[in-house]
Amino acid sequence: MTSGRQEEPTNFLYPFIDAQEDDPKSLLADLAASAQAKAAESLALRRSTLEANTELISSAAAELVRRFSTGGRLFTFGNGGSCTDCTTLARLFAQPPTGTPTKSLPAWSLTADQAIMTALGNDVGFELVFARQLIARGKAGDIAVAMSTSGSSPNLMAALKEARHRGMYTVGFAGYDGGAFAKSPDVDACFVVRSQSVHRIQESQALLGYQLWLAVHEQMATPPVEAL
Amino acid sequence: MASEVTTTAIDRGLDADLAADLAAASFTLAKRFAAGATMWSIAPGWEPHALHIAVEFIHPVIVGKRALPAVAITGPDVVDVVRVSVRPGDIVVAVSAADDAEVRSVMRRSRAWGVTTVWIGSGERPRAGLADHVLWLDDPDPRAPATGGFVLFYHLLWELTHVCFEHPGLLKESSQCTDEVCVTCSDEGRLGEVLTTTGDGMATVRTANGVETVATMLVGPVAAGDLVLVHAGTAISKVSDEEDGR
Repeated sequence: MTSGRQEEPTNFLYPFIDAQEDDPKSLLADLAASAQAKAAESLALRRSTLEANTELISSAAAELVRRFSTGGRLFTFGNGGSCTDCTTLARLFAQPPTGTPTKSLPAWSLTADQAIMTALGNDVGFELVFARQLIARGKAGDIAVAMSTSGSSPNLMAALKEARHRGMYTVGFAGYDGGAFAKSPDVDACFVVRSQSVHRIQESQALLGYQLWLAVHEQMATPPVEAL
Repeated sequence: MASEVTTTAIDRGLDADLAADLAAASFTLAKRFAAGATMWSIAPGWEPHALHIAVEFIHPVIVGKRALPAVAITGPDVVDVVRVSVRPGDIVVAVSAADDAEVRSVMRRSRAWGVTTVWIGSGERPRAGLADHVLWLDDPDPRAPATGGFVLFYHLLWELTHVCFEHPGLLKESSQCTDEVCVTCSDEGRLGEVLTTTGDGMATVRTANGVETVATMLVGPVAAGDLVLVHAGTAISKVSDEEDGR
């Protein structure tokens, strides 16, 4: 907030004052400063999140490698922006970007099919849109990845419970204090981005997902010695 | 090598130039939205980004922020779908590499459609002037779009756009063509996209001002989709794509 006009303590007496503004220079300076501050906050959170989750990334990746190598498949799901981020993650596994050497692994986002989403939402309720798909498709040895900022969405909780019940390995991405994911026995690996901002949480979750994918391929390239 | 990638993926800061680009782009978006624009997002090859942008603006995560008209366009024939969707004054936000043929085609046509463009991407930058606002990560790694950097970009666009709404006095669009020399409608010519040809040396073209009939004898045969510069009821030259010679 570098705008002198905004800092005037008497501004409340003049509610019309902003409607009279005609020079965008101070606004643009404020916006740029705000962008840099938010980006710095995002960067610091991404760093601390990766540091706090180094071991969990490694152990979860090891379990993913075990399952992929014995025919396991990966299913991702989430709501809203988290739906798009979990689709990006499924795509990373299934269709690695051109120019990168990593091989394709079987992975899908359960939000991809509008017919299935709307049929289930309409017929059995939104809480079961993912669980019902796992009943049909999920098998022991598969992997379920739920992305959420609250860590408590009922439809994700229902799907994780179903996945666990079917012998799938369950991974949860949450924000805040981890929400219900962090306390649930249905979540095998819970990645928590400790922030109160939905935006900053999603930015760190995207990086966590990317790092998980990277770790899976690194471990596939160099199998652990103790497995012999 | 992997650890190198990891480092660049996390340690990207936001330098002053990029912060200024984000500020300017957000201010433009706020002005267009205030004037009634719809935002169209496209991301060939990275469709989830287009969807995330639309849901961000139409269903804000912060309670009380207004829902803005935003629509993702995914699937095949992106250029054709954008063409039929946009109205003058709208916004197109694209997420892609600079060499994406569909996005480049949309950008080249944007002035004929009268839309404002924002291009988010990484790697080699697009040619200067192709988009109104370019928000770019100078990271050559093809995996960069999956690391959260673009998510940060459009989150900031949304956050800053809403800050601008607190300054309604700055969002009033200055009426068009108040400058002494207006690049859009001066003698230099306006960009038009050919809709139909009539075979008698005339064609209908779409420009930012609407559909008009122009004479094409100066430029020779044209076909639907060609870009031409229009001046005084006449197509005075064809505009080809420098990068692929078309």
